[in-house]
Amino acid sequence: MKHLTLGAAIFAALATPVMADDITVGFAIAKSGWMEAYDTPAATAAKIRIDEINAAGGLLGKQIKWIEADTRTDRAEAAKAGLEMVDQGAQMMVVSCDYDFGSPAALVAEGEGMNSFFLCAEDVKAGIQGVGPNAFSASVLAPVQGATMAEWSYNKRAARKAYVLEDTFIEYNKGICTGFDWMFPRLEGAEIVGRDTFKNDDASIASQITRIKALPQEPDVIMLCSVMPGAAAAVRQIRAAGINSLILNGSAVDGSYWLDATPDLSGFVVPVQGSIYGDDPRPEVEAFNVAYEKATGARPASQYAYPGYVLIDLWAKAVERAGTVDGAAVTAELEKMKDEPTAFGPRSFSSELHHQNTALMQIIEITNGKPGRVDEWRISEPVPMDVLITK
Amino acid sequence: MTEHQARKLASLTTPVLLIALLTAFVLLIGAFGDRSLGRMAAETLIRVTLVVGFWIFAGNSGVISFGHAAFACVGAYVSAWATLKPAMKSLLLPGLPDWVAQAEWHVLPAAVVAGVVAALVALLAGAAILRLSGIAASIASFAFLAMVNTIWSNWTPVTGGTSSVVGLARYVTPWVGLGWAAFAILVAAIYGASASGLALRATREDEVAASASGIDRYRHRLAAFTVSAFFCGVGGALMGHFIGVINPDGFYLSLTFLMLAMLVVGGIGSLSGAVVGVLVVSIAVEGLVRLEKGVTLGATQFALPAGSQEILIGLAMILVLIFRPAGLLAGRDLILPAAWVAGRAKTPK
Amino acid sequence: MTLQLLFDALSLGGIYAIAALGIALIFGVMKLVNFAHGQFIAFAVFALIVPSTDAVAVMGLGAAPALVLVPALLAVGAGLAVASEYLVFRPLRNASPVALMVASFALGVVIQNVLLVFYGGRPKAISLWPDLGKPVQLLGAEVPMLQIIVICAVLLVLALLALMLKRSRIGLEMRAAAEDFGMARLLGVRANAVIAGAFALSGALAATVALVLVAQTGVADVRMGGQIMLIAFIATVVGGMGSLPGAVAAGFAIGAASVALQAALPIEARPFRDAFLYGLVILVLLLRPQGLFASASAKPRV
Repeated sequence: MKHLTLGAAIFAALATPVMADDITVGFAIAKSGWMEAYDTPAATAAKIRIDEINAAGGLLGKQIKWIEADTRTDRAEAAKAGLEMVDQGAQMMVVSCDYDFGSPAALVAEGEGMNSFFLCAEDVKAGIQGVGPNAFSASVLAPVQGATMAEWSYNKRAARKAYVLEDTFIEYNKGICTGFDWMFPRLEGAEIVGRDTFKNDDASIASQITRIKALPQEPDVIMLCSVMPGAAAAVRQIRAAGINSLILNGSAVDGSYWLDATPDLSGFVVPVQGSIYGDDPRPEVEAFNVAYEKATGARPASQYAYPGYVLIDLWAKAVERAGTVDGAAVTAELEKMKDEPTAFGPRSFSSELHHQNTALMQIIEITNGKPGRVDEWRISEPVPMDVLITK
Repeated sequence: MTEHQARKLASLTTPVLLIALLTAFVLLIGAFGDRSLGRMAAETLIRVTLVVGFWIFAGNSGVISFGHAAFACVGAYVSAWATLKPAMKSLLLPGLPDWVAQAEWHVLPAAVVAGVVAALVALLAGAAILRLSGIAASIASFAFLAMVNTIWSNWTPVTGGTSSVVGLARYVTPWVGLGWAAFAILVAAIYGASASGLALRATREDEVAASASGIDRYRHRLAAFTVSAFFCGVGGALMGHFIGVINPDGFYLSLTFLMLAMLVVGGIGSLSGAVVGVLVVSIAVEGLVRLEKGVTLGATQFALPAGSQEILIGLAMILVLIFRPAGLLAGRDLILPAAWVAGRAKTPK
Repeated sequence: MTLQLLFDALSLGGIYAIAALGIALIFGVMKLVNFAHGQFIAFAVFALIVPSTDAVAVMGLGAAPALVLVPALLAVGAGLAVASEYLVFRPLRNASPVALMVASFALGVVIQNVLLVFYGGRPKAISLWPDLGKPVQLLGAEVPMLQIIVICAVLLVLALLALMLKRSRIGLEMRAAAEDFGMARLLGVRANAVIAGAFALSGALAATVALVLVAQTGVADVRMGGQIMLIAFIATVVGGMGSLPGAVAAGFAIGAASVALQAALPIEARPFRDAFLYGLVILVLLLRPQGLFASASAKPRV
């Protein structure tokens, strides 16, 4: 008898994977491998927003249910994970943070006419220009981050002479530098006095530093287009060589977890979508940080949890307006969004661009090893399309 | 029929048996598997194409090449250049010459050309690398792989650099994979039985004796290297059209070692070893991945911890090497017994 | 400027030289191209911190004073290497070099994924000896303190190793084994002791590289040993497989070539620096197939 009930319970669990009147969101994300560290926080944030929507009565009167599959930080596995999500009845697909690892699953969604959202891709190709017409990212394009750094440092720190140090490891880095290269020389009296490249896993960047030191005068700012762990290593070596220029970087190095690499670091600035340090002027941001801590036991380690929250927020609004989860209809509603308010600032999409080509960014500066929000900045004009594409 | 003829005939049954094995594999999965298993079957057959291509050189010459993933890289990008929509190319790859940018080929000629271009690259690179012997040749091929990877990651206008190229038509079904894998196996068997293949194996067994018998090692190695690169190029193109996204990083160290591992697990000494190695490793990986996702045994849900698949596969590889140092097939080929073949050949008379 | 470049070349080349030596030692005694060496390095780096998948690293062993830390970490590296010899490579003693190489690769995969499970995939920061991050004046060049320490440490390690190889019995046996292992055994060299000794030394050298890397970059990442291992691997061959001085010289040469290329190439070509570097390697091999310093055993004999 006991066996029979158990068997029946298992059968019931297998036979009804998805309730017919739920809306199902599929997460094809890395749950193992090195991408996991980036995907998990953003996916957690997305699930927090799903829970909030469900608690407030759901979407189109239905509850949102989520399912997930592991991409193992592998492109071929990502495509398989995407298929698995489709087979299990996903109606919208959330894919890995990074464009390279997320796109195989996003392409599967595209093939089914479903919407796909990258957890935090910042490359224009993670949208119409690459994956297809129903793919979106809720993060802020890398060139916007670079341009924000250029204009902010020019206006607020009187930066006139800049040096560009580019890590050729991944496309994101190149995007940051593209934005900086576009904005900085346009500013009156500003000039890029030199540039160099390195690789993220270089054991030493001594010769790149020697080139900076050979300049007749120390640059006002160094635009460091890099990600962890190379960025932390570069900062440590730059400061160890006695170069005290203000160092600018993209959002990717937000967080205080790496600061041990350069104790008492000062003069290091990054643009972010919201502050994790409890000093964001918008109460919604801090409310999210608290909700995240309640869900996971720790505050977000970097700003990359936020785009996960924003993407569900925007998608749910578009679904509500379209009255359906059908990919094309939701895309049409998303493309109508112009400065749509979210907890982390206004967001826009258009029929040309499924990304943010301008955004209000919080400026985080690290002083004596302590990060804190010092300012906010929105670039004076959006990064034009030809800059975004011809990198 | 002489005994020699019977043996020769029997050896011809190897490719037939291997192709039958792969066909059975595809049919089984088609009949019982879900879509995700279907993907796994297609991926496995692409790997058969790659590894059999790799075997044509490494198995016959005994020289371990680290450069074959580079040929897969070249093949994948050539096929992307030939088949992507012109609008997409002008957007992602603005540096392509006009006639390439305008091309919009069918996928089959694109795959063939991908193989041919990879073979040409191999001919050029091999002309230098294969002058070296043994471990020096291996290292030079390694340096070649690293060079190709560096160039592909930074030649942004033409390759898209480190950014993935998307939009490749995803046409590779298990049957397409089977077609190419079967072709690769046939060519490998024919090459292995040819004068050049036999000469090359002679240099593998005893370099000095072979050269004393007047065998030009360099020429035969170069021939095998070129044929071998053709199939790696095709395999790369198939891989690109299977995932839909290509990136230089996908054709670097992990692919190199996956190919090597499959070859060594199956046994580098024989063509059957190459095919069996791919099947065994692919099936083991898939099984472990499924275990990691969790299976229901009776009333208990059982799942391996995340990340354990890679650890277990690594340990399994070490165990195979310790207990079957020459691989699972230990240099033997799947063949029908010579006596049986001879008997069959006689009956019609 | 030129003096500064010399320091750059020495500090980068020094890291490569120590890593190459670690690979050459093992190749010399058992013809094993050890692809797990990069993971030995990564393992030693992570041994400094407490296992956890949190973003912030908590120093474990790394918090100990240098006098305890350095020998302890060297012991960790040596221990890992000896354990892998005992568990993986000893049963494979008579396998072909290809099988050995693939086994070492598999071992590397295992170590890397074990690290991933225990430490997570996020790179971590390690504050090791933060006081070193200050520049000092030396012969008219402003050199980071770190660089001087790195160069001194490399020279010290090389000197100690040379002394050990020249003066101790196990060192003599190791050199003999590297020259011609079969002959050395016939003359009474203890194979197990020599091979275990070579692995221990190689592991300790990997730990040395780990320490230098951490001091230089301040980060820990599961993938961090890979690039150095590749270069070291190439240095070992260019130097002449099995030749210990050759590996050291080639390590320094590749470091110097890398620095020189970075300094001399125009900006458009600089991202292709490594392609030029590997091209040079192929060229060197074509001109001197046995490496710059061929050991007597490198040539196949009839």
